[in-house]
Amino acid sequence: MTDITEHMTKARDLGLENDRVPTEYYTSPEYFRREQDMIFRRAWLMVGRVDELPEPGDFIVREMPTLKASVIIARGKDGEVRAFHNACSHRGVALVCHERGNALTFRCPYHAWTYGIDGSLRAIPAEQDFPHVDKATNGLARIHLDSWAGFIFLNFADEPEVTLPEFLAGIDVMLEGAPFEQFPFSIRVTDEIDCNWKNLVNAFNEGYHVAILHSKTLRAAVVPRENPHLHYLDVKQFGPHSAGTVQRNFDYDPQAPALTWVYAQMLPTSAPDIAAIEEGRAGFYEHPGINRIKVPNFGTETITIFPNISIQPLANGYLFYQFWPISAGRMRTEVRIYSRHAPRTLREEYAMASTLAATRDVVVEDMAMSRLQQIGFESGGKTYQQFGQNEPLLRMFTRDYEAYLAGGGLTKVPTQAEAAE
Amino acid sequence: MSHVSLPEQFAFLEPFVATWGGLRSQDERYLKRQELAQGELEAFHAALAPRLEEVFVHLDTFDPAALPEAEALLFRVVLGLTEASQAVEIFGQPRVPHAPFPHSVNMEWAGYQPH
Repeated sequence: MTDITEHMTKARDLGLENDRVPTEYYTSPEYFRREQDMIFRRAWLMVGRVDELPEPGDFIVREMPTLKASVIIARGKDGEVRAFHNACSHRGVALVCHERGNALTFRCPYHAWTYGIDGSLRAIPAEQDFPHVDKATNGLARIHLDSWAGFIFLNFADEPEVTLPEFLAGIDVMLEGAPFEQFPFSIRVTDEIDCNWKNLVNAFNEGYHVAILHSKTLRAAVVPRENPHLHYLDVKQFGPHSAGTVQRNFDYDPQAPALTWVYAQMLPTSAPDIAAIEEGRAGFYEHPGINRIKVPNFGTETITIFPNISIQPLANGYLFYQFWPISAGRMRTEVRIYSRHAPRTLREEYAMASTLAATRDVVVEDMAMSRLQQIGFESGGKTYQQFGQNEPLLRMFTRDYEAYLAGGGLTKVPTQAEAAE
Repeated sequence: MSHVSLPEQFAFLEPFVATWGGLRSQDERYLKRQELAQGELEAFHAALAPRLEEVFVHLDTFDPAALPEAEALLFRVVLGLTEASQAVEIFGQPRVPHAPFPHSVNMEWAGYQPH
């Protein structure tokens, strides 16, 4: 058997010496305000997938509580996907009130100013009373948009400091060609809770808690005998983004009648499809950037995209988590469970509902613990929290968090031509 | 509740219809699980979990998109087990430890209307 201890990346291996972090980062409204300006208005933020908008005219509206932004994302007749602030140029009304749909135009319900799906202002009733309004320059306000691997990213800066590929800093290269598109069907779980968003970011960046907090939900399935604290393996850094390899127990065999029945219908997203792995058709398992150390009991590659995303590719799909601050002490978690297809039978619907309940309960455990952590922080008896050698990604996130707040963090990667000069 | 009854051969689930048969979403089932006593969840699980296959052999004979009322009621009751089994087979208690109560979670299936 592979000696996995050599792959257990310690904080010292990455030169991360910040073993204490002020609790103020997690409780202070002033820090939250700086996060809004220095992180969420500068970083590229993931907001959906292009396959949510397959046809011209398709649109979705996303509320982004961190920035109090209401965003329309729409595919134009020309096929281009664009993003706009959901605000009429006349008197500011959030004019699109449906969460999704297909439209040729957007018409404001207040005075019927009408916009094309490309955001252009098409019609003003009683236009003669608005001689000062040039329709050509009064479309919906654009938001910078780009996509990678089918994920739509927005940037709220007037002019982004870096392009999306520069922002991704190589994690896009590691995941080049990863088969996200093989898993188009999703179930979305959304919940808000009283804690700082970084409590959740941190929870997803270490496996140390899994055997304890998730002793009933995950421990038997994922904590292997040779790695009892579920130390992440082979931690890789890409600018502020990261990836780490996580094992699981392939011999996990739940002796419980309802769960056993579910496994026989349709494997949960998280369960290894051993037949598919053996036949080389197990989606992400075959990808060269994932599990590059080739641990035989590979579970997932936990991928963190700064500031607020965790992606876990699995044999039967992938899990996508996103953490949005609402204030210093409140946040929203969005989880998307991606799988190959919608239920085709009632058996599959039952199995997917069961997997949904199980996945949700694990996240509820993390959120419940993050709320208790917030209570402890706000009590004020401790001025810092401590990160171990086995929590390198928490130190790394904090390092990059501080860099962003100080105005840095976004390093423009020189192009080959620039590098040659 | 209307006068719809379970298909005759599944009358053993009749005691659980009032609890689970009227719930229309996963969040409603999650909330119901939190408020029931563990003993009630265990009784439901004991009655249904060993007979899931029997239920679905019957449901297999219908178009999932056009279930007759009796089968639709049966399936809604059965879906209650997706939550009850978390309490019985995983946690040994109705609620996720330390979670708020009552705890509601928004769950949305993209492009599919679950029962």
